[in-house]
Amino acid sequence: MIGTNVRRLALYLILSFAIVSGGLTWWQVIDAPTLAARQDNPEVIAARRTMPRGSIYDANGRLLASTRLVAGLSRRSYQDAAFTHVIGYASLRFGTTGLERAWDDVLSGRADPNPLTDLVNDILARQPTPSDMTLTIDQRLQDFAAAQLGADAGAVVAIDPRTGAILAMTSTPSFDATPIAGDPGTAGDAMARIQDRPGNPLVDRDRQGHYTPGSIMKIVTAAAALDSGAITPQTTFADQPRQETEGFVVQGFRVLEHDLSPVQPALWPLSEALQVSSNIFFAHVGLEVGSETYLDYARRFGFCAPLAIGPAPRVLSVAASFVTAEQDGDCADFSDRAELAQASFGQGRVAVTPVEMALVAATIANDGVMPEPYVVRDLRAHVNRPGNGPSDRILETYQPGGGARVVSSQTAAQVRRAMVDAVQGELGRLYAGAGAVSNYGISGVSTAGKTGTAELGPDTPPHSWFIGFAPAQGAATPAIAVAVIVESGGSGSGRAAPVGGAVMAEWLRLQQNGG
Amino acid sequence: MLLPLLLLVPVGFAATHIATSGRADLGPMQVAAVYVVMMLAAHFVLVASGNRGDPLLLPLVATIGGVGIVLLNRLSPDLGETAAFGLDLDLVTTQILWFGVGMVAMLAVAIGLRDDRVLRHYKYSWALAGIALLVFTFLFGTEVNGAKLWIYLGPIGFQPGEFIKLVLVVFIAGYLAEHRTLLRDAVWRLGPIRIPPLPYLLPMLAIFVIVMGVVVFGKDLGTALLFFGIFLTMLFVATGRRSYVLVGLLLFLGGSFAASRLFEHVARRIDAWINPFADPSGAGYQTVQSLYAFGRGGLFGEGLGQSLLPTAGGRFFGVETDFIFAVVGEELGAIGAFALLALMMTLVFRGLRIAILARDDFSAMLAVGLTVSLGLQTLIIAAGVLKLIPLTGITFPFVSYGGSSLLASFLAIGLLLSISHRSAAGADADVAPTGGGP
Repeated sequence: MIGTNVRRLALYLILSFAIVSGGLTWWQVIDAPTLAARQDNPEVIAARRTMPRGSIYDANGRLLASTRLVAGLSRRSYQDAAFTHVIGYASLRFGTTGLERAWDDVLSGRADPNPLTDLVNDILARQPTPSDMTLTIDQRLQDFAAAQLGADAGAVVAIDPRTGAILAMTSTPSFDATPIAGDPGTAGDAMARIQDRPGNPLVDRDRQGHYTPGSIMKIVTAAAALDSGAITPQTTFADQPRQETEGFVVQGFRVLEHDLSPVQPALWPLSEALQVSSNIFFAHVGLEVGSETYLDYARRFGFCAPLAIGPAPRVLSVAASFVTAEQDGDCADFSDRAELAQASFGQGRVAVTPVEMALVAATIANDGVMPEPYVVRDLRAHVNRPGNGPSDRILETYQPGGGARVVSSQTAAQVRRAMVDAVQGELGRLYAGAGAVSNYGISGVSTAGKTGTAELGPDTPPHSWFIGFAPAQGAATPAIAVAVIVESGGSGSGRAAPVGGAVMAEWLRLQQNGG
Repeated sequence: MLLPLLLLVPVGFAATHIATSGRADLGPMQVAAVYVVMMLAAHFVLVASGNRGDPLLLPLVATIGGVGIVLLNRLSPDLGETAAFGLDLDLVTTQILWFGVGMVAMLAVAIGLRDDRVLRHYKYSWALAGIALLVFTFLFGTEVNGAKLWIYLGPIGFQPGEFIKLVLVVFIAGYLAEHRTLLRDAVWRLGPIRIPPLPYLLPMLAIFVIVMGVVVFGKDLGTALLFFGIFLTMLFVATGRRSYVLVGLLLFLGGSFAASRLFEHVARRIDAWINPFADPSGAGYQTVQSLYAFGRGGLFGEGLGQSLLPTAGGRFFGVETDFIFAVVGEELGAIGAFALLALMMTLVFRGLRIAILARDDFSAMLAVGLTVSLGLQTLIIAAGVLKLIPLTGITFPFVSYGGSSLLASFLAIGLLLSISHRSAAGADADVAPTGGGP
C-alpha cells in the first residue's frame, strides 16, 4: 500500500523536477538573448567596461566615435559635437543613449549582425567582435547646419525624400560627450557641468522637442483638404477678406489674422493664401475638412504616435507629435470647432517634433509617399585603427523601406506648387523668400517651402520655423527636405528660412561637386 | 564508485584556481584534500561498522556536496571572512568544518541508532520539543532579511527551522504510521469530501497552525512551504488520497493570500515574483540578477570563477546560500544545473526505494519524509531562483553554505542509512532460517 503510493509520489516528483528543468531551459537557452540585451544586466555593464566597441563613421567614412583601451578600460571618444544627440554616448557611469543605445549589442559585439555567426560564437564560447557602423549623415552638412544655428537653441533635420535617409540631424546647444563617456571618476562632474549650462544641452530637440508649429502646419491642412476633396486649388471663402480685419468668430472664439502688411486683404485661393499665410483662410479650410477627417490625415502624416528612425529593429525613437490634447499617448478628439480652426493654422494644442515636420516636407516632396527614415547605412568589420577610415568589408547594408502613401500623387503635386509659390511667388517671396536656395549660390533650382511663426504669448518671442525641399521645379526630383526650428528666433522668415535655404543649397552644392 | 566522483573536487579547485589566477598550476589544495579524505574516511567507517545501508547514498551526497565545496571555494575570496566557531574563517573553511560535524553526526546516527523506538515512541515529546524550539525562535530569534530564523548561542548561530523540520518528519511519520488505516478509510462526509473523524484530524490541524505560525510570526514563507509540503506528501503516501493534498494546498494558498494581504513583506515578495523587471534595482533586484546569471550561463556555462553574481551589483546577497543554484547555472551552464538536479533526483529515488523496502510503516513513512524534505527543499529553492514560484529563503541541500542546513541534511542521510541497514539486515534474518536450515 505504502509502496504503491511511494511510486505515485515518485512520478509527481519526476514531474516537478521536469518543470524546474523546463524553467532552466527557458532562462538559460530560450530567453537568454532577451536577458542579455537588457541595459542593467551586469554582463552588459562589464562588457562596456573592458571591451572594444565599434567605431561610428559618417556617410563618407569620417570618424565620429571610437574606443580605445586605456589600462584595460574602454574609453569612448567623440569627434564632433554636432553629432552628440544622434549618436548619444556610451558611458560607464550614465549608461547609453541615442544610437549608442539602439545599436549597443552590435557595437559592443554582444550580438553579431548575422544570426548564424552568433550561434557559432555561442557554441564555441567565442567572443564576438564588435561591428563598426556607417551613418547616412554627411558630416559636412551636419556641421554646416549646426553652424547655421550658431549660438541659438534649435534643430535642423534634413532627409533624402526618395529614400528616407537622414542627411543631417542636429540639435543646439550641444556638448562634447567624451568626458561623460570617458573616465568614470570624472564623468559625474562633467555631466553636472553640462546640466548647469543654459538651454538644456542634454535634450535632443530633433526627436524630443515639442513645439507649436505655427504656419508650417498649413501644409498638413492643405494636403488633407485637397486629398479629401474639401477644397480645390481654386476654392475661396467669401467672408475671408472681411474677416482678415474683423476676425472670424468660431463658436465664440475670435480667430485673428497676423500682421499681413505689406499685403492688402483680398479673395485668395490656396496659392495666395499660403503665400501670405492667411490664418483666416486655413481656419475655413480646416473646418471644411472636419474634425474626424483632419485627425485621420494627421495620423497618416505620422502624428499621434511615436515615430522611429530605423533601420528596425534598432531604432531611435521620436516623441509623438500631437494635433490635439494628448490622451494616453494618442491624440484626443478635437474639443470643439474652435480648436480645429486653430489647429488648422498650427496653433491651439498642436505640438510637433522637428523630425515629424521634416517628414511632412519629405512626404510632399516624395509624391505623397512618406519615406521610412533611417540613419544607419551599413555595418562593417571592426578595424583597430579607426583613424584610417572604415573597413571595406561590409557586413550588412540597410536598404531604404518602401514608405507609406499619405496623400495622392495629384494632391502632393498641388501642395508642392503652392509651396514653391510660398517661397518664390510674387507675394510669397515677401515672407519666405529667404528660404530659396537661389539666395545661396544655387541657380536654376526652385525651392518649395513654408515658414512658421509659433506664437507663444505676448511676453515670449515666437519660435521661428521653416520646412521645405529642393529642387522643386517642374518634374525635378527633390534631393533634400528640411525642417528648421530656431527657438525664440522671431518670425519664420527672419531666422529659420535662411537656415533652411542655406542647408538645402549646401547639400545641392555638395552633390554637384561629386558628393 | 566514490573515488572517481570525489576526484571532481580537486579538479574543480584546480580549474577555479587556473581561471581566477591565470596560472596553470594546481593552487591551494588543502580544503579539497580534507574533503576527499573526510568522505573516504566516512565510507570506510560505514563499511567497517558493518552498515549495510544503501550503498549509493554516500557517493551521491559526496558528489553533490563536492559541487557545493567547489563553488564555495570559488566564492570564498569574493565574500570575505565570517566569524564561526569563535574564529574568523573564510567561507569554505567554515563549510568544511561543518561537513566534518555533519559527517560525524551522520555516522553516529547510521551506526548508533540500532533501534528506532526512541523516535517512534516519543513522537509527542519530539513534537513538543519542536514546538518549544519554534516558539523560542519567535521570541528570542534574530531577524535576518525580514525573516526570523536564527538563534545565537554565543558565537555560533543556528537555524532551528532546519532541526524542527526533522522533528516534524519524525512526528508525522509516527502519527501516520499509527493512524494510517483510519485516516485512509475515513467515513465522515462533508459534501463530496470524506474527512476523517475529528479527533484524528486535530493533530493535523495543529500542524497546519504551526506552519501558518511560521509564516505569520517567523515571516518565513520558504520554511512554511517546505513544512507543509512535507506534511502533505507524507499524508498522501500514508493514505493515497489526493483530496487531502488538494484541500491542504488550497488551505495553504488561502493562508498565503491572507498573509500577503496582512503582511507587507509577503506582498512585496509576491509583486517581485510576478514582475521583477518592474523594479529591477529595488524589490525585483535579487530575482532579476539571478535570472541574468542563468541567462549568462547559457547551455554550457561561463566556467568556474566567471560568475558576475557575487561582484557585479555589489549588493547582491545570498549568493552562497539561497542563490547558489544561480551560480551553478551561470558557471556550469544549463548542463551543469541539469546534472546537479539529476544527482539530487537520484538521491531522492534512492530514498524512496528505502521507503519501499522498509520493514514497517513507521520506517517507511520516516524514509519518505526525510527524502521528501531533501527533494522538496531542492525543488522549492530551484523553482524560486528560476522565478517559477515566489522566491523564498531556503538552502540547497549539501550545496548551499550553512552549518545548520548541512548538519540537518546529514542527520537525514544518517537516518536513511540506518533504516536501509535495518531492512537489509532484517531481510537476511528472514532468509537465513529457510535457506540454511536449523
